[in-house]
Amino acid sequence: MPAVILRYGDKEVKVSHPDKYLWPELEIRKIDYIQHLIKLAPFMLKHISNRPLTVIRYPNGIHEHFFYQKHLPDYSPKWVDHIGEDGEKYIILNTLPVLAWLGNQGALEFHATFNHLSYPDNPESIVFDLDPSEGQHFEDVVHAALLIKDTLSSLQIESFPKTSGASGIQIYIPVGHRYTYEQARKINGFFGSYFTSKYPHFFTIERTVNKRNGKIYFDYLQMWYNKTIISPYSPRAANTAAVSTPVTWKELEKGCRPEDFTLLNIHKRLERKGDLFNSLYLPESYQNLSFVLENISE
Amino acid sequence: MHTLWKGSISFGLVNIPIKMFTATEEKDIRFKYLHKDCNTPIKYEKVCPTCNKKIGEGDIVRGFEYEPGQFIIVDKSDFDSLKTSVNSKSIEILDFVSLDEIDPIYFEKSYFLTPQDNGGNAYSLLRKVMMDTKKIAIAKVTIRNRQSLAALRIYNNVLLMETIFYPDEIRSVSLVPGIPEESEVNEKELDIATKLVDNLTETFDPAKYTDDYREALRNLINKKIEGKEIQTAPEAPERNVIDLMEALKASVKETKKAPAKKKKKTSERKSAG
Repeated sequence: MPAVILRYGDKEVKVSHPDKYLWPELEIRKIDYIQHLIKLAPFMLKHISNRPLTVIRYPNGIHEHFFYQKHLPDYSPKWVDHIGEDGEKYIILNTLPVLAWLGNQGALEFHATFNHLSYPDNPESIVFDLDPSEGQHFEDVVHAALLIKDTLSSLQIESFPKTSGASGIQIYIPVGHRYTYEQARKINGFFGSYFTSKYPHFFTIERTVNKRNGKIYFDYLQMWYNKTIISPYSPRAANTAAVSTPVTWKELEKGCRPEDFTLLNIHKRLERKGDLFNSLYLPESYQNLSFVLENISE
Repeated sequence: MHTLWKGSISFGLVNIPIKMFTATEEKDIRFKYLHKDCNTPIKYEKVCPTCNKKIGEGDIVRGFEYEPGQFIIVDKSDFDSLKTSVNSKSIEILDFVSLDEIDPIYFEKSYFLTPQDNGGNAYSLLRKVMMDTKKIAIAKVTIRNRQSLAALRIYNNVLLMETIFYPDEIRSVSLVPGIPEESEVNEKELDIATKLVDNLTETFDPAKYTDDYREALRNLINKKIEGKEIQTAPEAPERNVIDLMEALKASVKETKKAPAKKKKKTSERKSAG
């Protein structure tokens, strides 16, 4: 198949090698991938626009070499939004053509900072990042997430989970950028040490992978300036073509799995349920954690 | 200069009795921490937060934290069982190598070595042979039952011992993020850069480099010498996190009208479980 040109007003995105298989087992070609991205765009862009971005590019599909990219390449079209000057220009993914252009470059994973550009010191949500250790299963991560949810509930704090699309779960507490990264880390560290003290055989905050001894890793350090997290509805470069998907606590209780939500079927879910992470940005969902902060930083 | 250690270099059948001196010193300006209300130097006390009492030297054991908050105890007999049977006062030369074979990243700390009273001749012999062959010696050093690796070389006519890191103490560059791959270099740019390097090339004269920060700080202190303004941050007391969480939960329950209660959104969550 010859190259395909996508036109958005005066912007052109050339899809080179549209037949190339990016997920060969699922026979997802580049052109199919970009079509999925176009459908996902309204959902993806809401969570990723105006946030510094890191993409992971797999130009020849998920089994071939990959690399991280956050700088704006020299050969980018003029209309690709960016921030920064000279050698330090970073891509900003605000529009459909930029998304399609990144798709053509084989960007399969989209990781964004915890903060919006307008609030460089303040993450939008407090995020607990849970990962299983070797030998653990997704059920263990679900169990961990539900323990955390129960504790948050008894503090009257509402929280929203999503699958990472790989093996983990991330719990979001919307706070509307009212806390600084330093305060957020204090809160996160407090919960991390609470769960490792309360369930020392089940949770760990050990950063070194082979010292985690088969426990759930509560990553309280990832949420920090310039660090990134897989953005909601970003695909993952895994065989399943799973998508990092916001889910309900009930779905987790019932045993949903990360591979239930893929590039191929996510669209139906979004049509039916909409974006469960919509509420992250609604002022009425912002949670007040100041009482926690006051008590831990005396 | 006071003697740090006395021992001997063993080199084949020769034993050279030596004294060791520290060769470098930090010139950082040191500060004391004071209580800001009364400018008294703060005293550090060892306290057990669980038993809430002061701890003496005899009450302390060493724990290895294999997992945050989880320890195994390693006591004196464990350490004793590791003591090496080798002469605990020797610098044992293993090999001779060329200096340029060792990357400077390996060097840790430098010590001057001088002969003890009867070691002068053997010392001179080793020094001369190393100068003539332009070789440095790799040696295993045992001081107070601890072994480390070192290089011996000649510096300004003195035998110098550099302790060196073991290879597994040097971090792999593959762990360093963001190293650019070799890319096509613009000939013209390379030419300009080479000329620039040539222009700035001089012989190394360490005397011309000074610690600007230290000098500025020294000046500031001299100016302030009449005033007294030093601040310290108090250490936050640690509280048991589990108790604290229970207290937080209880306080939320008590207030009934929760600080974070929000109306339900579209998500199908039930009330707190």
